[in-house]
Amino acid sequence: MIVTVLKPLDEILDSISPYKKILIAGCDGCTQPPRGMREVKTLKQLLELAGKLKNKKFEFKLTSVVKQCDSVLTKSTIKPYADDIDAVLSLACGAGPQTVAEVFPALPVIPAQNSHFVGIDDREGGTMFDSCSSCGDCVLALTGAVCPITRCAKGLLNGACGGAREGKCELDPERDCAWELIYNRLEKLGQLDRLKEFRPPRNYQKKAWKVAP
Amino acid sequence: MTQVAEAKPAVNINEDYCSRCSICGSLCPYDAITRDHENDKIILDIEKCQVCGICASACPARAIDTIYYDRDSLLNYLRKVKPNYKSDTLVVMCKGSAPDFSQVGKLFGVKDFVPLSVPCVGCISEELLLAMLAEGMEKIDILACDEDYCRFHRGSPLTGRRVMALNRMLAQLGYGKDAITMKRNSLKVKVDKDLCIACGNCVFYCPYDAPKLESEGGISFDLDACRGCGLCVSLCPAFALDLENWERDRISSMLPQLIGEMKPPKVLVFRCQWALYPPLNGDVSPNVRTIDLPCSGRVEAIHVLEALQNGADGVMVIACSEDDCKQEGVSAKAEHVVAKIKGQLEQIGLGERLGFGSVSPRYEGKAEEAILQFRQQIEAIGKKGKS
Repeated sequence: MIVTVLKPLDEILDSISPYKKILIAGCDGCTQPPRGMREVKTLKQLLELAGKLKNKKFEFKLTSVVKQCDSVLTKSTIKPYADDIDAVLSLACGAGPQTVAEVFPALPVIPAQNSHFVGIDDREGGTMFDSCSSCGDCVLALTGAVCPITRCAKGLLNGACGGAREGKCELDPERDCAWELIYNRLEKLGQLDRLKEFRPPRNYQKKAWKVAP
Repeated sequence: MTQVAEAKPAVNINEDYCSRCSICGSLCPYDAITRDHENDKIILDIEKCQVCGICASACPARAIDTIYYDRDSLLNYLRKVKPNYKSDTLVVMCKGSAPDFSQVGKLFGVKDFVPLSVPCVGCISEELLLAMLAEGMEKIDILACDEDYCRFHRGSPLTGRRVMALNRMLAQLGYGKDAITMKRNSLKVKVDKDLCIACGNCVFYCPYDAPKLESEGGISFDLDACRGCGLCVSLCPAFALDLENWERDRISSMLPQLIGEMKPPKVLVFRCQWALYPPLNGDVSPNVRTIDLPCSGRVEAIHVLEALQNGADGVMVIACSEDDCKQEGVSAKAEHVVAKIKGQLEQIGLGERLGFGSVSPRYEGKAEEAILQFRQQIEAIGKKGKS
């Protein structure tokens, strides 16, 4: 899923301050927890409380789109509000506000989230971590389903680099060495011979900016 | 932290009266009472005690005192409030299954009744029920929790046995067949499948494995497994879940009046009703009003914010410690919920207005102390703001 974090409330308040009638649009999509109606309502309450302290009054309307990155769903959900609002405050990942902007060219759209990465949700540990760079040329079949492009700080295709200490990356002692993880996985799978294969430099042109599946 | 050594325990065994019969120990759901064979003494380990009052209600020698809902204060309370009601029917109910009196009346088919709400009906002895009848009550209805829903495990089954035995006795005395009736009730989650977005949040958070994600999308709950802590309800991102009698809208609708009747500094307390026992007369301080919850897991960020929007100067959440939690440690998760919303309030300069207290009723005055401290903190902010 796309991992996002709510922007500082001051920043959101600054961004929406030129507008009065604002639609807060959530997204029930992939983020965990989903930025649906609960997050929408909570943000409304926080902004109202903050606005009151600064003598600023907004008129909020609230909705949530099943998937804000889907132009059809976004259009049908936001259309009933579109004529009576000055701006949309989006709780979706970076794709959401851009979808709203595509569908409603005349409406200002403000993001309420910072989008960080495509991540794994470790619910027990309460953390999410970067796991996929959407590189367009997946190598997971070769690496025991641990992505070296994303999880190795150096993005090495032919690791390990030799700098790891006790399984941790030399650039960040809190971060697991991706190539040690790959080694351990391949060992469990009985596929250590894969490490003997040389992987030639990648063709980064494979990274697409549009696809038509 | 205040020193535990000075604190007065809420339950005491009076050695002079104790006949060492050990009935209390055999009924205690928490193994807090044991017999010391060497010294021939019955010993209460107050750290294990959850203050249900079952031991005191069962002691044949009346050797156990509790500071909450003991026999004499319950009787005195009944004498005091009875004239305020036009009814001779007394309804004794466990807080866990009956927060909304109007719903309770419907269950028993009575409109007017004298309500008596206790943390566990297991604290009401046979003798006390008879004394209540002797005070002029014509009829007593008891609403207990379902047996496997009882927060104190043994309170509801024990009351069932007591009512059966008493009715037999009362029938012989000419009181009719059912002078005392008992019903069981449990308040559980409600699902609005149209609103569900199948995110699986409830599946992850439920300590009882009650919700299941359906393969075709959507959610189903095993209501037999649900224990009504409300954590899933408070965290559902789509407002698809609600809790019987503790509905989101019902709690919201209570806020304006409660906050309106307070004097500044206005402190609204959301309390787990097993972390802090309410006084029989309700809130006494003009600065504090309280909303009882089935567990701190039912504390919802939007209610905290609504309270502040409605003019509360401070909001405090009172929860059990993780060890004391009657709901599989849900209180620890509630603390995270409160910490998150506090972090957001800090960003807009209101962080100090949300407090969290982890308390237990086992020592006298501890919870009140925590609330008083918070109130003083809120008062200090008010003064700072004016100067």
